[in-house]
Amino acid sequence: MSTGKSRREFIRDMGLGAAMLPFVSNLPGVLDLQKPTRKQRLIILFSPDGIVPTTFWPDSVGPYFDLKGSLKPLEAFKKQTLILNGVSDRIRGDGDGHMRGIGCLLTGTELFPGNVQGGSDTPAGWSSGISIDQEIKNFLQKSLGTRTRFGSLEFGVMVPDHADTWTRMCYAGPNKPIAPIDDPYQMFGKLYGQLKDQESLKSILDDLKDDLAKVRSQIGTEDRKLLDEHTALVRDMEKDILSARTTDIGHAVPVIEPGVRRDNDNIPKISKLQIDLMVSSFVADSARVATLQYTNSVGQARFTWLGIKEGQHDLSHEPDSNKDAQEKLTRINEWYCQQLAYLAQRLKETKEPDGSGSLLDNTLIVWTNELGQGNSHTLDNIPFVLVGGGAGFDMGRSLKFSNAPHNRLLMSIAHGFGHRIEKFGNPNFCGDGLLTGLKL
Amino acid sequence: MKLSIRPIWSLTGSSFAFTIALCLPASAQQKPNRAVAIDGSTVFKQKCASCHGDKAQGGPGYQKPLVGTRTIAELSSFIKQSMPPGPKKCPPSEAEPVATFLYDTYYSAIAQEKNRPARVTLARLTVKQFRNAVADLIGGFHPIVPLDAKNGLRAEYYKSRGFNFKERVIERTDSSINFNFGSNGPTEGTYDPRFFSILWQGSVMAPDTGEYEFVVKSEHAIQFFFNGEAKPLIDGMTRSGNQTEYRSTIFLLGGRAYPIRLDFHKANQGVDDTEKQKAKPAGPASVALLWRRPKLAVEPIPNRFLFNRTIRPTYVCQTPFPPDDRSIGYERGSDVSKEWDEATTSAAIEAANFAASRLPTVAGVPDNDGQRADKLKAYCRQFVQRAFRCPIDSALERTFVAKQFENAHSLEGAVKRVILFTLKSPRFLYREIGTSKKDAFFAASQLSFSLWDSLPDPELMKAAESGALVTKEQITQQADRMIENPRSWSKLQSFLMAWMKVDEVPDIVKSSKTFPDFDTSTANDLRSSFEIYLESTAWSKSSDFKELMTSPTVYLNGRLAKLYGVPLPSDAPFQSVPLDQDKRSGLITQPYILSKYAYLETSSPIHRGVIIVRSLLGRTLQPPPSAFAPTPPSLHPEWTTRERISNQTKPDACNSCHGMINPLGFTLEGFDAIGRWRKSESGKPIDTTGNYLARSGKLAKFANSAELARYIAESDEGQYAFVEKLFQHLVKQPVLAYGPRMLPNLAQSFADNRYSIRKLMAEIAVSSAKSQQPANR
Repeated sequence: MSTGKSRREFIRDMGLGAAMLPFVSNLPGVLDLQKPTRKQRLIILFSPDGIVPTTFWPDSVGPYFDLKGSLKPLEAFKKQTLILNGVSDRIRGDGDGHMRGIGCLLTGTELFPGNVQGGSDTPAGWSSGISIDQEIKNFLQKSLGTRTRFGSLEFGVMVPDHADTWTRMCYAGPNKPIAPIDDPYQMFGKLYGQLKDQESLKSILDDLKDDLAKVRSQIGTEDRKLLDEHTALVRDMEKDILSARTTDIGHAVPVIEPGVRRDNDNIPKISKLQIDLMVSSFVADSARVATLQYTNSVGQARFTWLGIKEGQHDLSHEPDSNKDAQEKLTRINEWYCQQLAYLAQRLKETKEPDGSGSLLDNTLIVWTNELGQGNSHTLDNIPFVLVGGGAGFDMGRSLKFSNAPHNRLLMSIAHGFGHRIEKFGNPNFCGDGLLTGLKL
Repeated sequence: MKLSIRPIWSLTGSSFAFTIALCLPASAQQKPNRAVAIDGSTVFKQKCASCHGDKAQGGPGYQKPLVGTRTIAELSSFIKQSMPPGPKKCPPSEAEPVATFLYDTYYSAIAQEKNRPARVTLARLTVKQFRNAVADLIGGFHPIVPLDAKNGLRAEYYKSRGFNFKERVIERTDSSINFNFGSNGPTEGTYDPRFFSILWQGSVMAPDTGEYEFVVKSEHAIQFFFNGEAKPLIDGMTRSGNQTEYRSTIFLLGGRAYPIRLDFHKANQGVDDTEKQKAKPAGPASVALLWRRPKLAVEPIPNRFLFNRTIRPTYVCQTPFPPDDRSIGYERGSDVSKEWDEATTSAAIEAANFAASRLPTVAGVPDNDGQRADKLKAYCRQFVQRAFRCPIDSALERTFVAKQFENAHSLEGAVKRVILFTLKSPRFLYREIGTSKKDAFFAASQLSFSLWDSLPDPELMKAAESGALVTKEQITQQADRMIENPRSWSKLQSFLMAWMKVDEVPDIVKSSKTFPDFDTSTANDLRSSFEIYLESTAWSKSSDFKELMTSPTVYLNGRLAKLYGVPLPSDAPFQSVPLDQDKRSGLITQPYILSKYAYLETSSPIHRGVIIVRSLLGRTLQPPPSAFAPTPPSLHPEWTTRERISNQTKPDACNSCHGMINPLGFTLEGFDAIGRWRKSESGKPIDTTGNYLARSGKLAKFANSAELARYIAESDEGQYAFVEKLFQHLVKQPVLAYGPRMLPNLAQSFADNRYSIRKLMAEIAVSSAKSQQPANR
């Protein structure tokens, strides 16, 4: 019945010993010592099992492009959207396509040999490198001006409850996969547990003071000194709590729908809860980097709310000739795109606390997938749909590359955040430098 | 009694800044250094006491006690001029000594404080008591070690990739987990050496409180589950690269067992590749479960800490606490600080969140229960009563339960508030407040905190409620039941460790030049050897103090046997061995104690003497007047340690204390720096003679440590010291606070019960429960 966390994690997460301290890094006075820069943020959305190329990729390149099929929900954000076709995950080595697909997607490097046997190829283990979200998080956490309470938050939706190569996308380093939190209530506790605890504490303070006074009256005079000291400490605690509340920058703790069970048919609700929490965490500036992983590679969600009974992964194996399956896969990816659009919408309507535009202006969302297409298991033409102004790319375009290694894109994103690395992941795929044309 | 004794010398290998001389206070009973010196106490006795009383408390000539704020010089000048009344005044040569004596002994504020009669003071729970009480409150009062269990882990071996019941080959108890199967299957049963799996289940005992690191080593898929958590503490199902070692650290409460489970699969995970693998030869397989106890080295978890029964999980409060005050020799809750208050707040929040998020298991109320609100309220009422160790009246129930339920937004929120409030209340946090009057509940609380450092269990509470905890016989009956619980052993063990000053787990390091075979695993093994010795003597059926003090038994395993010159197989488990026939005698000759009280290369009669003086004979020593570096052995290589120490402590200023310390320590000179028997040193025969001037003034002489051990075991001094220190460790109040007869009465009953330590513990708990007035009356 222990918490299962290490003692250090526990203390860190709880902010123990300082249950009443405000989130120090949120204080404008502390951060703004540095020269004022915009708060750049990165979000990576992951959906599994590839897409249907014919209903996904725009027919034309450049600023005048069409959004068809799966990408229709982005119509309202066309000007903030950058679609990158022809970027490929060229990492090979151990592991099947799905394993390398998710394990190399953000790390740009090979999987270690291991004991997880896929549907084909050799068995493999974890990725041998750090993922780009963590690389950028570490970079931002290094400077006082960009440091936040968590640095990064890893969200999930219905991620299977076992840790293997197919279920992990983010890596803190070689052999260090990070488990996404797919329970919105657990994420809520991580984000707002301290504030909630303060509220609980505050709610019993008056009763506690009364109780101390009553007990004191029952004690012999010689022993009262100890209890008086104790009472003084409780008063100190009260003062700490009150002062913490006045210095908190005062974004309201979100009220979230209670009792949503972790259940396939609740995926839409869980998705919305997680997106709402992510936006709240940005408002509070608790993190500048977030990932949201829908299920896992080989994900088998059943889109019953779209009237689709088959599991996504089973559908994704159907040949191109199966029009019904391709139509369903198109709608499934359209649903993922709706989630992306909802996130973009929430960011757009949320103003930066300092009044400098919307969160979307300063956030880059990257929607991606472990495969280019499900029935071929290709790692070529991996979907990369970018939305928002976070990295300073020139948005509102559709670009086409020719089998460009995705390591170059990962580097470009890092550069967009001021982290000027010359290689990332397997250096053999970094020789040509940043992906050209992201900025005009 | 209240002397603040902080040893400033240390035996850790890294520091040479040792100070070795010790000195008694000037007012103590040693011989005067110069024949001409005038002793103030003698002058007072002869010339002042008749009027002022023998303790300056007031007498026939002057009724008021001699207390005040004058300086020694002022007192001295006053005495010269005005004392005694009449023409013949105090000679100037006597005025200053008697003024100094008076000031130090009775007159000054500090002296008054020292002379204040001991009383039972209000005290909060110690950190250990807080942690145990919260564990028992949240986790229920389930057994802390599995009942009817054998040592080892229950193992199920399967000839399948997973735990397919139909493919189970054998079920047995494994003594520990440290297997190397090579390219074969397990030896018992028939397996395809390419695919097999093993499931181990049971419990592991954490002997001490602190950070434990668990380590699983294997080149195959493993998962290690701990303390009933659904999420594995160590997840190595996906193995990757050349990682074959998995580690995780967790803070545990000592003296309790925790459920564990280790899964091992020699098979790839993911898609079944059986057919593909059948073409290949079997690779190697091994699996080991190790741990690192707090401050010790990594070792396979020894058999004696493993049980083949799965126990219920324990709630472990993870909040760090500041240490308790132990300035007078035992941990007690005599002070509050901001750090302590914040820790209690965090711990209360932690416990409240834990319980509120697991109400079905913690409160036993399912989420879909039709009477959930009523049942949770009842749970909370019960929680408050258990926490306060007494029934609560309607006013308290209103404050602590009903009001919290009315004001919370949800039932979880209400339970959270009740737990938070209860754990922050002084009624929970203080030992003498919890019960509202001197009655059976007070006795119950006193018994359980004395014997277990925790709350009364349900049976004890029931006895108190039903009026079956009133007479001494009834209380004794409960104490006799409680003493058999492993919690009592845990408490006694922590006393024995603190008594020998090894509770902090000393870092025993030896010179690799002199003792090339002594390494960290030796230090680990010696600690184990000592723990086994304590349990087999102090906690045996007879639980005999004299056996603890004089038993020739030493426990060695194969590794230690080699070092100590006993023929045993190198992988032999710990066992009682005949070591140095007739030379070993009890606690003080245990290799662990001898190694701790020694330097890197040489023995240390001074450190050995000091632990005997202070702990075993219960005498007080002041730190040396200044720091001394020990004479390096290389300065006089022809000297024995005895000669070197005698030479260095020869000055009068040293000898006043060392006259007592050294002759006790010298009796152990037959044992070198790692506690091995030796006959000579520096080419000279070892001299193990020694002596001790008892409080009675009688000089005891010893030919060797065996005679000294027997003396301590048999003498009033040794027995009184043990009884007093054990009392203070259990009750956490000074024994004098319970009247002048408490100590002699306990010592007498100790003797009447054939020196049974268990019976003494019970007697101490009963006596303090029966005679103590709650502090708040």
